[in-house]
Amino acid sequence: MGQRQFILLGTVGVIALIGGITIAGLNDNLTYYLYPNEAVERRAEFVDGETFRLAGRVVSGSMSEEGDDMTFDVTDGSATIPVVLINTPPPLFNEEVPVLLEGSWAGDTFIAESALIRHDENYEIPAEGNYPEP
Amino acid sequence: MTRTRLLMGTAGLSVAIGLWFALTAPPDVLQGEYSRLINIHVPSMWLAFLAFGVTALGSIMWLVRKKERWDRLAAASVEVGVIFTGIGLFTGMVWGQAVWGAPWDWQDPRLMSTAVMFFVYLGYLALRNALDDPVVRARRSAILGAIAVVQVPLVYFSVNLFRTLHQTQSIRPDGSTMPDEMVIAMLINVAAFTVLYVALMVTRLAVSRLEAQARPEGVFAGDAVRPPRLSEVEDV
Repeated sequence: MGQRQFILLGTVGVIALIGGITIAGLNDNLTYYLYPNEAVERRAEFVDGETFRLAGRVVSGSMSEEGDDMTFDVTDGSATIPVVLINTPPPLFNEEVPVLLEGSWAGDTFIAESALIRHDENYEIPAEGNYPEP
Repeated sequence: MTRTRLLMGTAGLSVAIGLWFALTAPPDVLQGEYSRLINIHVPSMWLAFLAFGVTALGSIMWLVRKKERWDRLAAASVEVGVIFTGIGLFTGMVWGQAVWGAPWDWQDPRLMSTAVMFFVYLGYLALRNALDDPVVRARRSAILGAIAVVQVPLVYFSVNLFRTLHQTQSIRPDGSTMPDEMVIAMLINVAAFTVLYVALMVTRLAVSRLEAQARPEGVFAGDAVRPPRLSEVEDV
């Protein structure tokens, strides 16, 4: 191995190491989203108006529309948070659907500016006559 | 030439059979017809992973053996891999718009790691085009090709290592979270795309050999021409 190759490989190795450590560190501190129990637990870290992401399942029977807004509860089984969505929900938005919300606290309520459906790895064949609209 | 034609025919037939299975398999209860996109999305990304793995193999073999054909293998495989990474990204975005409600998410680790992988291998192709000397080009490409492959497991396991919007694997060592009909259709398409990969590679390598014959080492287009010197044009 020539000297230049050695330097090149070494440089790339160091960059990869720094990149790896950065990614590992990011994962620890800058979580992509919080589940409701974590959001409640870490309530003090996120003051009213500070944006973070919340992931959970829409509680059955909690959905209602108030003007342009939609209210519903999200849960992870251990904690439930009331949500006001101030934007248009995605087409597949429904009860029992896992969602990813971006927004902030306003007291005990989460004001969501946007919502995405978090589809999971489960696939299921619909029952006869129950095919969804394409 | 007949060999590549036969292989391309077989690949075309395989993909057609795969498409038939994709269109006749049952849809998903939540996603509806959009769930069929998995039959292109997953096989495309499988093909990309396979291609970048072959590139790493070719790269390491070049560094060990210094034979030109390993360099050609590595380069051809990146070309195929980049195209199918693009197809994987595109089908994912179409599906994302329909099911998630957005085609892209800048914070999702699976999406971002795939995009980075896409651009790194585009960079590999740019690097090859930037270097004229065949040996220098082969060496630098081989180093990049051997290192860049670490992204393949990173992309694949990103959904397990991090919290993502992207779903996790449906087919896992402990079983499958998909009905058998859907699994069979998807695996047939994975097999069909693998045949397509072989056909594309054999054809591309045949072209690479012809290119190497047409342009002997060290001679480049334009070598016979030199720019006019100032002393020659001054009196015009």
